[in-house]
Amino acid sequence: MSVEEIRATIKESIANIANLELVDITDHASYKDDLKLDSLTILEIAVSAEFCAAVPSSGSGLEMRRRVAVTGIGVVTSVGTGREQFWESMLAGRCGVSPVECFDTSSYSVHRGAEVKEFCAKKFVLKLDAAQLGRASQFAVAAARLALEDARVRIDSLDPGRVGVSLGTTSGEPQEIERFDDSYMSRELNKVGAEFIARYPCHMISAHVASELNFSGINMMIPTACAAGNYAIAYAFDTLRAGRADLMLAGGSDAFSRITYTGFARLGAIAPEICQPFDRHRKGMIPGEGASVLVLEPLERAVERGARIYAEVTGYGLSCDAHHMTAAHPTGDGAARAMQQALAESGIRPEDVSYISAHGTGTPTNDRLETVAVKRVFQETAYSIPISSVKSMLGHTMGAASAIEAAVCALSVFNDRIPPTINFEEPDPDCDLDYVPNYAREHRVNVAMNNAYAFGGNNASLVLKKCEV
Amino acid sequence: MGKVVITGAGVISSLGDSLDEFHAALCKGQNAIKPIELFPTAMLGCPLGGEIKGFDAQMYLGKRNLRPLDRTSRLVASAAQLALDSSGWTEEMRNNEEVGLILGTMFCSVRTISEFDRRALEAGPTYASPMDFSNTVINAAAGQTAILHNLRGVNTTVSTGNTSGLKAIAYATDLIRSGRARALLAGGAEELCFESFYGFDRAGLLCRSERQSGDFPIPFDTRRNGMALGEGAALMMLEDAESARERGVRVLAEIKGYGCAYHCSRGREESAVEAIAISMRRALDDAEMLPHEIQCLSASANGSRQGDRDEAQALVATFSSNSHRLPVTAIKSMLGETLGASGAMQALDMVETMRDGVLPGTINLGETEDDFPFPWISTVRRKIDPHNGLINSVGFDGHCCSLILARGVESLC
Repeated sequence: MSVEEIRATIKESIANIANLELVDITDHASYKDDLKLDSLTILEIAVSAEFCAAVPSSGSGLEMRRRVAVTGIGVVTSVGTGREQFWESMLAGRCGVSPVECFDTSSYSVHRGAEVKEFCAKKFVLKLDAAQLGRASQFAVAAARLALEDARVRIDSLDPGRVGVSLGTTSGEPQEIERFDDSYMSRELNKVGAEFIARYPCHMISAHVASELNFSGINMMIPTACAAGNYAIAYAFDTLRAGRADLMLAGGSDAFSRITYTGFARLGAIAPEICQPFDRHRKGMIPGEGASVLVLEPLERAVERGARIYAEVTGYGLSCDAHHMTAAHPTGDGAARAMQQALAESGIRPEDVSYISAHGTGTPTNDRLETVAVKRVFQETAYSIPISSVKSMLGHTMGAASAIEAAVCALSVFNDRIPPTINFEEPDPDCDLDYVPNYAREHRVNVAMNNAYAFGGNNASLVLKKCEV
Repeated sequence: MGKVVITGAGVISSLGDSLDEFHAALCKGQNAIKPIELFPTAMLGCPLGGEIKGFDAQMYLGKRNLRPLDRTSRLVASAAQLALDSSGWTEEMRNNEEVGLILGTMFCSVRTISEFDRRALEAGPTYASPMDFSNTVINAAAGQTAILHNLRGVNTTVSTGNTSGLKAIAYATDLIRSGRARALLAGGAEELCFESFYGFDRAGLLCRSERQSGDFPIPFDTRRNGMALGEGAALMMLEDAESARERGVRVLAEIKGYGCAYHCSRGREESAVEAIAISMRRALDDAEMLPHEIQCLSASANGSRQGDRDEAQALVATFSSNSHRLPVTAIKSMLGETLGASGAMQALDMVETMRDGVLPGTINLGETEDDFPFPWISTVRRKIDPHNGLINSVGFDGHCCSLILARGVESLC
């Protein structure tokens, strides 16, 4: 088909759709000004023109060959907002735990949490009305903006339809349902207005991020509890590899939740003072809150635009214990399968892993069984791989946790430094690996593995690698 | 890239708990929207909903300990049992091979979450139930179902409002295409409960009717004034075509492709027409098809003023240049808006439509708006001969997803 023939075909199809004479459709006629068409007709023409061209789209072949780079990091945590402040705190071993302020804990036996203090949503939520967003959405928007800034992406250079958002969460916007419950208990349900349903459902978090930034590509919310961040990053990774997007904002967000606090307190899982992962006398986890968003893009594009590449995502593994809602599998079966899949996809041998970011909640059972699972996969090499849990500093930020830890992995790979497990006092015979106690370490990190485990027996492991272009 | 086929299905709905019964009821034009019995409706503006009357999970799951499962989990576990049975994935096979579950749900159980919190508020935090706590996470139903049926593969919960169910199927399709999984249960579930119902009611999104039942909601009709809420679970077994052939199982349909888009300006003046059109176009691209190759369409329309108009206009923009008129149905006229389950329910009904060639009507429909030509849509069932069908799922919050299915016979070639 010659260009002339294509032109004639297109004109004919426009004439048909818009009910116009063929002669009126000149080569440079404007739809709006010359042909006086309404927007719906123009859209119809645009849609049909794409089909006329019938070019097979690049998105249809799931070739899975594209490599994926992390080029931006945005975090909101109890020890710092933004990559620089956060990383400095991580290396300094700063602790974000303090008395809980967002609700009254006087009827509880524990009183501490890792809340984000002095967060100003209006600094980040610019297009939408910050007051209309739940707290987790505000965190996510802030982290997304910080990540884009960090990636130095020119937003106007992107096709908004090819930029997607994929986020994880445990509770979504728990404070919205808690407000509903307060009204219910005080028999004032009439206080609940339209805002409840506009804010509470968890997918509003990714929706708010996309609306705020005008990104109309794939939009995904994955609420797989405490491993959700890794799931969301894995989804974004696949989406990019399949060519369904040019850039993905991926991560997780969770707001401090009375419901979560009550539940863990009732399970006796909350430590009274501090979180001490892998320590012999560890007393539990500390609930926290925060958000982390990574900018992921095809490596090729990142190199082309001269982006700073923190790390390459090379693979992941997901599995389910199918054993117990809240307890890990006693032999580490599911966790091991997730790690093995992630290594296999990445083409990396266990002995080539330089750092493992542990799930490391600080509960007696988790840390023991996680150690079992790591040994199952890494065998003897397990003893020579540094493993740390930043939950010792940040508490357990729920759906955000593994996304924050993915940021930690990317920064470790980029900077060759490993943040410590703080509050580590006495080794536990059941946890006899190298947990990077108390002080950050300089260490060549070629490959980092990010492990996360969740209620429902959901396991997710992610592998990040130093970028070799 | 491997083909993805549907080898089994399970549905628990207000119009039946088998694919045959469900589809037959929709084709007969049965309306499930009736006065609600699950919770008091005195303080609600809309007392109607598509409730599953007398749902008893024991009927599907036998004498197992179902105490830890709330209504959502029971719906999912029951639908999973039916889908596993119909696809022939026995317990023994599941011990040897990983079967996964990708579940779409908007709330999981907001009732469980709220009751847990209220109990602690009322009696003090030490009286909150630890067993209920494990169900307050949004992936609880997927986790409970995995435990009950020993599903050790990928277990992911997708939550994108009404599009959750269809997006779960889309995600599962990619996981199988890329070789990450061989067999996945995928679909969606939602329970009807006071907490979410009240929220939608307060937001003015539910239909209002003078009478107790019968004539609302009416998707695409000029008189439409909101949606009705429903509930249910719909799961399909998705498998790599090659391994399905090796197993020698029947193929109900093939997944040809999907598309997603997000409408950024939700809640503002601009309409979502473009995002819906892009979602459908991406699905056609992914399936390597042209609009005229689609012979029937299951619309997302649920009776909402803006949403239905946007979808209608997007349909016109995408399909009007076809030589024939595309038959369209909106089964939410009978089931109500089942939120996270809705897309998966539409998909399962499409599977049946392609098998028996009958497309359900859109009941109660009187007059449509000028820009949505009436011949496309009918109040009663129609006999058609579809090879490919498209399912739309559109959220009131900007999420759009479209999925294309092909008839099972074709996919055997």
